[in-house]
Amino acid sequence: MARVALVGSGLAGFSVYQTLRRGGLEPSEIAVFGTDADPAATWRVRAGAIRQQRMRSESDGHCRAQTFPGLAFRSAARRRSPLPLLASAVDRYHPTVDEFLADVERLRARSGWDESVRLARVDRVRPVDGGFELGGGVFAHVLLATGHPGLNVPEELRGDPRVVHSYEPHEYARSVTVVGAGLAAATEWLNALAAGAEVVSVRRREPLRRPLNVPREYFSRRGLAAFHRLGAQERAARLRALLAPSYPPSRHWDAPLERAAREGRFRVEAAVNGSEQVICATGFLRGVEHDPLLAELVAEHGLATADGWLVLAPDSTVPELTDATRTLAVAGAPAAWSFPAADTLMGAKYAAHGFLRKVQACPTR
Amino acid sequence: MSYTLRGRIESRLTALLPVLLGACAAAAALRHWWPVELVLLMGAIGVALDLQLWHRVLPYQPAWASLLLGATELGAVLAVVYGFGLHAPLGAGLALFGTGWLVAFLLGQAAFPWLRLDYAEGGGELGRAGLVALAGIGLALVGSGAAWYARRPPVVHLAAGVHQGPLVLSRRMNLVGAPGAVVRGGIVVRHDDVHVKNVTVVGGVNGITVAGVHGTVLDGVTVTGAKLDGIHVRMADVLIRNCSVDMLGNPLGQGIDISYNMDMGMSMVEHCTVTGGMQGIATHSSMTEVMDNTVSRTTQLGIDMTEMSMGSVMDNEVRDALGVGIQCNDRSMCMIERNSVVGTRADAASGDPSRGGVGLLASFQSEAYVRDNRLAANPVPSSTVTDSIIRPYDWEP
Repeated sequence: MARVALVGSGLAGFSVYQTLRRGGLEPSEIAVFGTDADPAATWRVRAGAIRQQRMRSESDGHCRAQTFPGLAFRSAARRRSPLPLLASAVDRYHPTVDEFLADVERLRARSGWDESVRLARVDRVRPVDGGFELGGGVFAHVLLATGHPGLNVPEELRGDPRVVHSYEPHEYARSVTVVGAGLAAATEWLNALAAGAEVVSVRRREPLRRPLNVPREYFSRRGLAAFHRLGAQERAARLRALLAPSYPPSRHWDAPLERAAREGRFRVEAAVNGSEQVICATGFLRGVEHDPLLAELVAEHGLATADGWLVLAPDSTVPELTDATRTLAVAGAPAAWSFPAADTLMGAKYAAHGFLRKVQACPTR
Repeated sequence: MSYTLRGRIESRLTALLPVLLGACAAAAALRHWWPVELVLLMGAIGVALDLQLWHRVLPYQPAWASLLLGATELGAVLAVVYGFGLHAPLGAGLALFGTGWLVAFLLGQAAFPWLRLDYAEGGGELGRAGLVALAGIGLALVGSGAAWYARRPPVVHLAAGVHQGPLVLSRRMNLVGAPGAVVRGGIVVRHDDVHVKNVTVVGGVNGITVAGVHGTVLDGVTVTGAKLDGIHVRMADVLIRNCSVDMLGNPLGQGIDISYNMDMGMSMVEHCTVTGGMQGIATHSSMTEVMDNTVSRTTQLGIDMTEMSMGSVMDNEVRDALGVGIQCNDRSMCMIERNSVVGTRADAASGDPSRGGVGLLASFQSEAYVRDNRLAANPVPSSTVTDSIIRPYDWEP
């Protein structure tokens, strides 16, 4: 009988599942609720839509519980070449999307994932004595990995027939305006240029250039300890700054853009013009109110929020609904309050570690 | 990896534990302490740099930076080893350091992240495992200290009076002479870590012979009447201080001769008085510091650094030498500073013009760097022969 439930069968839920399995839980002890048994189904569509070839993450950007061996080590072993390891040593190893997806498939096959998946949408989580009722059962420990609540299209562009979101499958017109300044936008600039389009970049601010979503120290206790000590307003402001759009510094991005700018095929403008196609590389809706399941929990149980973020404990649990006998935790994008890069695989594993500690500490697990 | 300070230190010390245990085993097998001393030095320097430097300048440490940190720490360890005269053979010491670095790298990059799920996000902190490792290091240190205490060289007291030699010292010991303790026929040191203090030696082929051993200290010894050298050192590192060597009437022996120990670290002669003999203090193929000594009435050279020696001659007084006061010879490199060379006499009988009463001589492709020497009453204050140079300290090409 499962006592642990994961709500969400995407990559975040899948990463948490791997950690729970490594922590000693059997597939029969874990129920995973989701609408697709393939953990990469949603992500694959989005990556395919922006023609993503390589991961922004590095060797440790995988769903396995341990960071070692990473994808660089596996690639080196498979290719019998030290080059991936050397590239990883200088932070220049970025696995291909195919390598990453193949690793997900291997993990899925051997971890018992399909045995735990229950294809059902969970619309409501109701706290009860000693746990939470959801999906027709009661579970002592529940982790919500519901993913992004939806694609974000700027208000002024909604209903415009030229508009497509970057994460929706699309081709490229002869003239394209790309709205946004993050990794998806940068990828779309290059995609559209490669397709022969004339490209206009519309952005509110100059994009930040950094290797990962947030500065590296925020992936460890070194940066997180100070972050967790911030007051609510300061933390919300810090999150806004940390989660500003960015893409990695590299000639891979700069050289084609410089060449296209010289040829008059790439320019930056302040507002959407008369391009045939407008691609919104504007990410996802942000804020707990956009996630029906979380919004209902907030409304019914008075959970604290700050500037749209759900206020969580440093270990990604919901303090109002967690005690010695039950745990409610959050992973993925809505968990940014505890881990700024929550919508990364590292973020999912961070939430998983806190969740696992709670599960292991519970006497009635 | 973004280490927290605690994580950086815990990871470092935990990685040091297997190396320390290996060093303890090596120390027991070799019957030398340098492996343990070296590992402790590695740990101390590493932690000091963690506290003062690495944690501040490296909010994030990529894997390649381990090479840079390792090279810096190796330089610091070598500086301390040579600066404080730790008797660690260079090759074995480098191998031990390299092993320690490799163990730390493999543990930090592979084993810790594999064993501990939240190692990376924990900033390298190891939780209970780190505390256990620290306790292990503490136990190893206590064990090493206890073993060191138990294995201290015994103190052997030499009673006042004349003891017939030669006295052969073939085990570790501190030989301490009572006032009036005399050994007739010489002392031979045949074991590492022998200290001889306050003993007078009369006669012998050499007064005191030290050959093929490490860590010898001769402190407050008096030597007279040796047939060859007063203190004769071959392929051994020594510290000789506060000694008195009387070689008057011995036209062929050296007062103190330290030779062929270039690969054994620094030796030192300080606060000694040498009277008579062919050469007062001589070094051949050696790295020796000769400081604060008084040498007089020698029949060939007062102080001689020769045969590719490297070292310093500082604050010595050389008086009434025949031929040459201080010589830097045969492709040697000498730092000669604040010495007083007075009254060197010309050796007319030799027929050698380079022995015309030269206060300071550099010969046969040697380099002498000099500063603040007092050269007085010498027929030739200083001279160079056969492609040698004498340059001031601050000389620049």
